[in-house]
Amino acid sequence: MEPLTTELKRALFGWFYPYKYSLERWAYALQRISGIAVAAYFLAHIVETGNVVGGLEVWSVPSTSVAGDVWTATFHFLDNPLFDVGLVVIGFMLAYHTINGIRLALTEFGFLQGRPTRPDFPYEPKSFAKAQRALFWVSVLFAAGTAVYALNVFFGV
Amino acid sequence: MKESTKMLLHYITGIGIVVAGGVHLFTVFLTGPYLQNLAFSAGPYSVIAVYRNLLLAITLELLLLFVDYHALNGIRVILIEFHQGTKWERGVSWMLTVVGILLLVYGTRTILIANALA
Repeated sequence: MEPLTTELKRALFGWFYPYKYSLERWAYALQRISGIAVAAYFLAHIVETGNVVGGLEVWSVPSTSVAGDVWTATFHFLDNPLFDVGLVVIGFMLAYHTINGIRLALTEFGFLQGRPTRPDFPYEPKSFAKAQRALFWVSVLFAAGTAVYALNVFFGV
Repeated sequence: MKESTKMLLHYITGIGIVVAGGVHLFTVFLTGPYLQNLAFSAGPYSVIAVYRNLLLAITLELLLLFVDYHALNGIRVILIEFHQGTKWERGVSWMLTVVGILLLVYGTRTILIANALA
C-alpha cells in the first residue's frame, strides 16, 4: 500500500487540477473547494461572533457596556479591506455552493436526471445533460452576481 | 449511524441552511444599511437586537446546528474519500464529532448569553 502522504497528494491534485476533465468534474472540484472555504469561514465566524458577549474570557452574562466595547473593537479590527476581499470571495463560494448543492440534492433524490437511453458515441453522461448543465451555469452566474453585490456593498463598486 | 442516514441528514441540513441562512443574510443585508446592522446596538436589526428577538435567535441556533453538522460531515466525506480503512474512518468520525460538539457549545453559549444580555 502506498503511504498516506502520497495518497493525499494525489487526491488534492486530483481536485485542484481538474484540467482535461469534463464539466461535471469541474462542478465537483468547485463544490469541494467552496465547501472547505465556507467551512473555514464558519469556524472563524463562530469565534468572531463569540465576541458579541465578550469573547472566550467571559463565562457569565457580562454587562451590556463591556460586551458592546468588545464587539465594537472586533468590528473595527474586521473593518479592513483585506477581510472585505475575503468576504467577496466567500460570497462567491457560498452562492456557488448553495445553487450547485441544490442541483446535487435534486440529483440525490432522482430529479432532473433525464430518461435512461442506449449509450451511444460519444458517451456523454446522460445524468449531466441539459437541465443539470443549466443549473450548474445558473450557480456560476448566481455566484458571480453575489460577488458583484458584495463588491458593491463593501467597496461601492 | 448508517452512511446513508448521515448523507440524508447532510441533504436535509443543506436545505435547512438555505432557509435559515437566507433569513440570517436577509436581516444583515436587506433590512437597512449593513453597517448599522453590524453595530452593537443601533436599530431593530443590529447585532444585539437580533439576539434578543426570540424568533431570530432560534433561527440562529438552528442555523448553527445545521451548518455545524453539514460542514463537519462534508469534511468527513472529503477525508474518507482521501483514504479508506476502518481505523482512519473511525478516527476521523470521532475527531470531527468532538470538534462539532465544541463548536456547537461555544456558538450556543454566544446565542444564550447575547439573548440574556440586559
